[in-house]
Amino acid sequence: MRRHGFSLRWLELQLLVVPATASLIGLLTISLARLGSSRWSWGDLTVSLVFIGVVFATSLWLTLLKVQGDQILLPIVAMLACLGLLLSQRLSPTLPTGGVWASLSQRQLVYLLIGLALMWVTVALVRHFFWLKRLKYTWAVLASFLIFFTMAFGTDLGSGARLWLDLGPVTVQPGEVVKILLVLFLAGYLDDYRELITSSYRVGPFSLPPLPYLIPLVVMWGIAVLAVVLQNDLGNALLLFGVFLVMLYVASGRLLYVTGGLAAFAAAFVVALRLVPRVAQRVEIWLDPWSDPTGIGMQPVQADLAFAHGHILGTGWGFGFPQAIPVVATDYAFAALGEELGGLGTVAVISLYLAFVMRGLLVASRIRNSYVRLLSVGLVSVLGLQTLIILAGTVRLLPLTGITLPFISAGGSSLVTNFLLVGLLVRASAFTRG
Amino acid sequence: MRAVVQVAAFLASVLIIVYGALITEDRADPRWLGMLVVVGGLWIIALWPTRGYEAIRRARPLVHLAVVLAVGFGLVTIQVLRAQLLDRDRILAKASDPTTSVVDLRRYLAERRVERGRILLTDGTVIARDQTDSQGTRYRVYEGPSSYLAGYYSPGLYGSAGLERAFDRELSGRSAGGWNVWLDGILHRPRRGNDLVLSIDPRLQQLGQTMLGERAGAAVLLDGDSGAILAFVSSPAFDPNQLSVPLGATAERVERARAYLDMLQKDGRGPLLLRPIQGLYVPGSIFKTVTAAAALESGLATPASVYRDDGALVVDSRVIIEQNRPDPSRVSFTLEEAYGYSLNVVFAQVGLELGAQRLEGMARAVGFGERIPFDLPVAPSQIAQTPDFLTSRAGIAETAFGQGQLLATPLQMALLTAAVVRDGTMPEPYLVRELRSPDGHRIWSRQTKEWRRAFSSQTAAALHDLMVWSVEHGYARAARINGAVVGGKTGTAEVGYGAPHAWFIGFAERAGKRVVVAVVVEHGGSGVQVALPIGKALLEAAVQGP
Repeated sequence: MRRHGFSLRWLELQLLVVPATASLIGLLTISLARLGSSRWSWGDLTVSLVFIGVVFATSLWLTLLKVQGDQILLPIVAMLACLGLLLSQRLSPTLPTGGVWASLSQRQLVYLLIGLALMWVTVALVRHFFWLKRLKYTWAVLASFLIFFTMAFGTDLGSGARLWLDLGPVTVQPGEVVKILLVLFLAGYLDDYRELITSSYRVGPFSLPPLPYLIPLVVMWGIAVLAVVLQNDLGNALLLFGVFLVMLYVASGRLLYVTGGLAAFAAAFVVALRLVPRVAQRVEIWLDPWSDPTGIGMQPVQADLAFAHGHILGTGWGFGFPQAIPVVATDYAFAALGEELGGLGTVAVISLYLAFVMRGLLVASRIRNSYVRLLSVGLVSVLGLQTLIILAGTVRLLPLTGITLPFISAGGSSLVTNFLLVGLLVRASAFTRG
Repeated sequence: MRAVVQVAAFLASVLIIVYGALITEDRADPRWLGMLVVVGGLWIIALWPTRGYEAIRRARPLVHLAVVLAVGFGLVTIQVLRAQLLDRDRILAKASDPTTSVVDLRRYLAERRVERGRILLTDGTVIARDQTDSQGTRYRVYEGPSSYLAGYYSPGLYGSAGLERAFDRELSGRSAGGWNVWLDGILHRPRRGNDLVLSIDPRLQQLGQTMLGERAGAAVLLDGDSGAILAFVSSPAFDPNQLSVPLGATAERVERARAYLDMLQKDGRGPLLLRPIQGLYVPGSIFKTVTAAAALESGLATPASVYRDDGALVVDSRVIIEQNRPDPSRVSFTLEEAYGYSLNVVFAQVGLELGAQRLEGMARAVGFGERIPFDLPVAPSQIAQTPDFLTSRAGIAETAFGQGQLLATPLQMALLTAAVVRDGTMPEPYLVRELRSPDGHRIWSRQTKEWRRAFSSQTAAALHDLMVWSVEHGYARAARINGAVVGGKTGTAEVGYGAPHAWFIGFAERAGKRVVVAVVVEHGGSGVQVALPIGKALLEAAVQGP
C-alpha cells in the first residue's frame, strides 16, 4: 500500500459497475413499461446517469482523501440506494406528493444527493475519532434536545405520531438522527467505563453487575425510549432498545445484560399490550389482517397480495400495481419490490442487507481501537436491526412498526442519516491497521 | 461430535419448517410463529462458532451478534418466500372470494392487459367483446337484445356476473397454460383470452324474447338429445353495457353505473335474475307429470286406471274443488284423461294413494332438491318448505296436483320433459358449447353427458303417451304442430296474490329431432292462453329447422 500518491480503490470501482448497470436497465424498463413502447432517448436515463456520476465520484472522493478503508460497503449501499431510486421512479407517477416536490422521484434523487454530500463531508471531517468520543455528552444532550423539541413542536404527517419538524418547504424527522447520536454517546460512555461495567461485585453467592455505573446509562437510554414511546414511535423505540442491548453486550461480553434486557422488554411489551390500544391493534392486525381486510387490515392484506402476485420472477419493473398498498413508499417498500422483482428479488435484497451487516461486523472485528470498534458495531447494528424490524413487520414475522427500510424507503431524513452512518463506517474501517 | 449436532439441528429445522408449512395456512398462525422461534434456536445452534473463533476474545460478542442477525434475516427470508411461493394461491383465492370484500385490483389490471375473449352465439353472433377507445382504455361491449346472457364484467365496479364470472379463467386466458402463455407473460406481450361459443340459436332466442315481450317470465328450450340449450329467455332483463365500466373510468361514469346497479337490485321484478335457472315458481298442474310418473313407476296405476271425480274432494278439513272437468256431468276418468284435462281431484287421490314417501322419492329422482349441474349456478327446486308439510294428507294432496309448497325452476321442468322423450334419462344441460382459442382453434367442446335416470323407460313411454294425449285431445290442443309428434302440459299455478303463473312444458319430435321447452309467465293467467303459445312457437320453430 502506497502511503504517498493516490491509489484508486479498484475493487470498489469494479463493484460499482453492478449498481450502475442495474440503475440504467431498471430505469429504462420503468420508462418503457410506462409508455408501453420500445422507443427511448437518453433523456429518460438522466436520473440514472446522475446517480452513476455521483456514486463513482464518491469513490474518487474517497481516493482523494486517501481513505484506506473498506471497499465493499459502498457498492452494497449503492446497490440498495439504486433500488430505492428505481422504486421511487416507479411509484412516482402513481402517488401524490406534497410540499415543494414535483414528484416522489425528484425528492428521492435530491435527498440521495444531499445524503452523499453529507457522506463526503463526514469522511472529510472525521479523520480522527477522538473528538467524537470527547463530545459524547454533547451528543447525549443534543439527542435529548431533538427528542423533546420534536415532542413539543412536531407535526403529525398522518401516522398518528408527531415525528416531524416542519421547516417550511421541507419536513425532517429528527428521530433518525437521534439514533446515530445515541450510538455516539453510548460508544463513548461504554468505552470509558468498560472495565467497571465488565467487573462485578459479589453479594453472597450472586455476582451482580456494577449497578451504579449502569444507572446514568439506563437513565439516558430510558429517557430516549420513553420519549419515543410517548411519541407513538414504537418502531424506533424497539430499535433504540435493541441497539442499546447490542452495544452493552459487545462492550461487556456479558450475556446477563442481554437476558435481563430481553426480560424487561417482554414485561414492557405485556404491559403495553394491555395499556396502549395502538400496540394491541398492531398485534391484532399482524395475527389476522383478514378480520378487517378493507379497514385496518388493508395494508397487510394488500401487501400479501403484492407478494403473492410477485411469485418467483415478479411482474417486472413497472408492471405491478404496488400503489394498491397504502403507504407503500415507506412502510411497505419491500412489498413493492416483492411484487415487481418476485421471490428472487426479495431474497436478493435481503442478501444485500445481510452482506452489509456481515461485512460491517467483519470490518469492526478487525478494528484495534476499542472506541472505534464499539462505534462501528453500534452503527452496523442500527442499520441491521432497523432493516430486520421493518422487514419482519412487512412479511408478518413481527407486528408492523412504522420505520423506514434503509436506503430503499422514501424518506429524506432516513436516507441522509444512513449515508452519514456509512460515511462514519467507511472512515472507521480505515482503523484496521494501527 | 460438534459437527454432528450442528447438522442435526439444521436438519431438524428443515423438518419443522416442512411440517409447519403443511399444517398451517397463514404466515402469522401462532403455531407457525412458534415453530419459527424453535427454528431460530436451532439455527443459532447450527451456526454457533467453533472454538477456534471463540479464542479471539474480543471478537466473540461480534460473532454472536452476527449469528443472531443472520438468523433474523433467515427467518425473514422464510416468511417472504412462504408468501410468494407457498401461500400464494391461498392469498389470491381469499382475495377473489367475494365474501371477504377485498379488492384485488391487480387481477383486473392484469386482465386489462389481456384482450378478453368474446362470447358468441352458435351461429357466430357476438354478444360480448372487448373494444379499445381512443385513449387506449379497453372496455367491454355487449350487443344484441340477448346480451344479458353474458352477465356483465365491470372492473370499474369490481364485479362480474353470469357467464363472465363463471368462465372468467377461460375468457381472460388464464386457464390455458403452456410454454407460450408463460413466455408471453415474461415478455409482456399482448395476449387474448379465449372465445366462448354458446349453444344458443339466435333465431329461437329472438323468437322467445319477442313472444314473451314485456311480461315477466322465462322460457328455456333445449335439445332433448344433447341437453344443449337453444333458447334461454329471461324477462325483464338488464343492459350489461350500462354496468360495464373500465378501470380508470371517470367518477361520473362509475357513479352512473353504480346507480344503475342499485336500481336493478332494488327493482322488485328482479331484472338481474336469470329466471330459467334462478327463478323459483309454484309449478301448478305441470307437476302432475311427476305425480303420474310416481304412480306409473310404482305400478299403482296405468294410463287406463279409472278414477272418480265428482267435482269436489274433502281431505281432512281441506276441500278441493274441481273446476277443470270438460263435462260437469261426467264423474269417472282414466288417468290419461285426468292428465289431459288436468283434474286436481283425481291427482289428489293418486297422491294420497302413493303416500308422501313415493311422491317425494319421484320428485327427488327427477331433480327436486338437487343442484343441477350447469354452467351457471342453478337454484335447487323445492318439494316442501317445512319438513312436516308432507306428513299431512292435505299437504300430500296439494303437492300431488302441483300446489302445496312446491317451487321449481323452468330448467328443472324442461329437464323433466327431456326425461320423457329420452326414455327416462336426464341430460346434463349446457349453455357453453365450445371454447375457442383466439385464432379459432377449438380448445374443447361439450360432450353430451347423462345427468341421471329419472324413471324407467316404460314409465317414460307411458308419460310420453299421456303428454301426447293431452295435446291431441286434452286442453293443450293448441300446441299441435303439423307433421310433428307433440306432447305437452299446461299449468295455471295459484300464487296467493295476483293472477296465477302461466306454465307450459312440452316436447316436439320430428325427423329425429327432439326438442323440449318450459315456459313460465309470471302472473300471466291461464297456462293454455298465455304460456302455451310461446312454447308452441318455440317448438315449431325448432323442429322446422332453418
